[in-house]
Amino acid sequence: MARAALLVSSILLSCLVATSYGATFSSLMRTLVVTASPAAGQVVKSGEDKITVSWSYNNTFARGTDSTYKTIKVKLCYAPISQVDRAWRKTVDDLSKDKTCQFNIVTKPYNPSNNNTFTWTVERDTPTATYFVRAYAYNSAEEEVGFGQTTDSHKTTNLFEVHAISGRHTSLDIASICFSAFSVVSLFGFFFIEKRKAKASQQK
Amino acid sequence: MEVEQKPNDLSTQKFPLPVDSEHKATVFRVHSFAPPHMRAFHISWISFFSCFVSTFAAPPLLPIIRDNLNLTSTDIGNAGIAAVSGAIFARVAMGTACDLFGPRLASSSLILLTAPAVFCSSISNSPVSFLLVRFFTGFSLATFVSTQFWMSSMFTARVVGTANGLAGGWGNLGGGATQLIMPLVFSVIRDIGATKFTAWRIAFFIPALFQTLSAYAVFFLGQDMPDGNYSKLHKSGERHKDNFPQVLYHAVTNYRGWILALTYGYCFGVELTVDNIIAQYFYDRFNVNLRTAGMIAASFGLANIFSRPGGGILSDAVAKRFGMRGRLWTLWMVQTIGGLLCVLLGKVGSLGASVAVMLVFSIFCQAACGLTFGVVPFVSRRSLGIISGMTGGGGNVGAVLTQVILFRGSRFSTETGITLMGIMILCCSLPIWLIYFPQWGGMFHGPSSKGTTEEEYYMSEWSSTERNKGFHQASMKFADNSRSERGKRVESAPAPVDQGTPSPDV
Repeated sequence: MARAALLVSSILLSCLVATSYGATFSSLMRTLVVTASPAAGQVVKSGEDKITVSWSYNNTFARGTDSTYKTIKVKLCYAPISQVDRAWRKTVDDLSKDKTCQFNIVTKPYNPSNNNTFTWTVERDTPTATYFVRAYAYNSAEEEVGFGQTTDSHKTTNLFEVHAISGRHTSLDIASICFSAFSVVSLFGFFFIEKRKAKASQQK
Repeated sequence: MEVEQKPNDLSTQKFPLPVDSEHKATVFRVHSFAPPHMRAFHISWISFFSCFVSTFAAPPLLPIIRDNLNLTSTDIGNAGIAAVSGAIFARVAMGTACDLFGPRLASSSLILLTAPAVFCSSISNSPVSFLLVRFFTGFSLATFVSTQFWMSSMFTARVVGTANGLAGGWGNLGGGATQLIMPLVFSVIRDIGATKFTAWRIAFFIPALFQTLSAYAVFFLGQDMPDGNYSKLHKSGERHKDNFPQVLYHAVTNYRGWILALTYGYCFGVELTVDNIIAQYFYDRFNVNLRTAGMIAASFGLANIFSRPGGGILSDAVAKRFGMRGRLWTLWMVQTIGGLLCVLLGKVGSLGASVAVMLVFSIFCQAACGLTFGVVPFVSRRSLGIISGMTGGGGNVGAVLTQVILFRGSRFSTETGITLMGIMILCCSLPIWLIYFPQWGGMFHGPSSKGTTEEEYYMSEWSSTERNKGFHQASMKFADNSRSERGKRVESAPAPVDQGTPSPDV
């Protein structure tokens, strides 16, 4: 009887722990300094141009704050102007539901020194939008424990744009137009055939 | 490669299926492709299916398209509305076109004229061009009317409900199948080596080509009536042309047509809305990948394979015992249950529960569509084409209204929109209470105590001059056939022994 009660309560407790997992952004401290090569307002072409990101630990924080940091993930994140009226890019405090940062630039093990850099060619399927760069620090349990970003806390400064490929090719354009024209022309061909048959049967 | 029967040898014609005096088939054999009846059935449902595939080809790929074309929620909502609004007018016009030119030419023309819109979806590069291609592609949904018209020309009253229900239901399947087909085609093309933003464009060629080929099949393999095509029959004088303004007047002044147009907007219109929003809903709310979202969304539309025909069959089964009153009660109950399930769908928060509720909701929603067209053929005999077109168009109006109010921009989250849509279904199904046939009754009243007969109801659509010329004879035949709508309990007036109609030879 007591064992059953213990089992039930431990299950309930683990459920509670599971639901309360999910680090929130507001609980993170901005312990990293992140810079990116594009200047404010610069336009970067996807598939061609490169971005150089660098990150380091902000030494003004107390020693040992970064003791749990194991890995760093640097991400490309949407600026508020690109989130307007687009619920699939929404910023939510619960990081497991947050959709602000959807593109991974690089994942590296944590190193508090100053010379962490990475040069990234903007991928071809990055959409046209306004972005900033953010780095998250993760502990060994893959939970976010710190962050840094290239913009201010309101995400208004130092934003840059990416211009995406359109995905169109001349051959596709020509094929579309040819097939469309063919459909319409064949329709008039049908009318012609129909008229001829009706005339032929009248003459019989 | 047309199959034609010579119109002069009526006595020696042999049809593969048993036929009645009008040469309409009296049985429906779904496995057969026998010309002209079953072949017409298969060609018409396949071409209608292809139009549905094209019209709803964009929604499952929206997570890619919205990033490529930089769309906002408002842009996506507007395009979804545009996709179903073109067909409102087109469906009404199609009824007239079928009358004038025959379903074969009318539908193959429409399908070929809308195919360019599907081909040009590949070259859209802005929210405006995206909206335009979806708008023009949506016109093709008017093939619903030609399908129903064609089935009514090929099959007798006893099996026309089954033929119409299956043709409509299997055509609507396209809205579900496309949610599977498009993500699959997209991933194959992307795996071959194209980038995401090119792969979706190439993928649109598949529904476009399918649509074009089905139009060719309609033109070359189809036939308007069992006895031949319209162009021949008109010239030989076998078909008499009715007075269009009169037909329109009798359609527009029959309040039952308007009520059914509204209620169809909240079963079929809801089905169209869900086809537009459901893949994105599952992708965004439950974080499933594109293929999975497509599969879930597809199962909504795929239920049409049995649910819409089931609604038609249920309507006929209920009518045997309870007549028209049974049809109306069943329609209202099924549609209301669908509304309750829709409210629930917006409230459940887990993926498994959502999918389960969605599946049950799809069955009730689509069965209500089939049940609606169990009532429509009896509203008017003279103006059947336009009433069918109005009801069909009303379905699209419901889709437009629902998307404008609930699923455009960011005013409501999608789940709140779904719950509110359920409430709209409940409210807009109530007008069914008001439908009343004097010869059969309505939901809450029995047949009129004046003893109105079926003949009187259908004859009221013809003026005395027209009756003198004998134009109303087809309606009289129909009135006689429709006596079964009294059900087993005979409360309505006894059948007239002699109507005293003037002899046609004046």
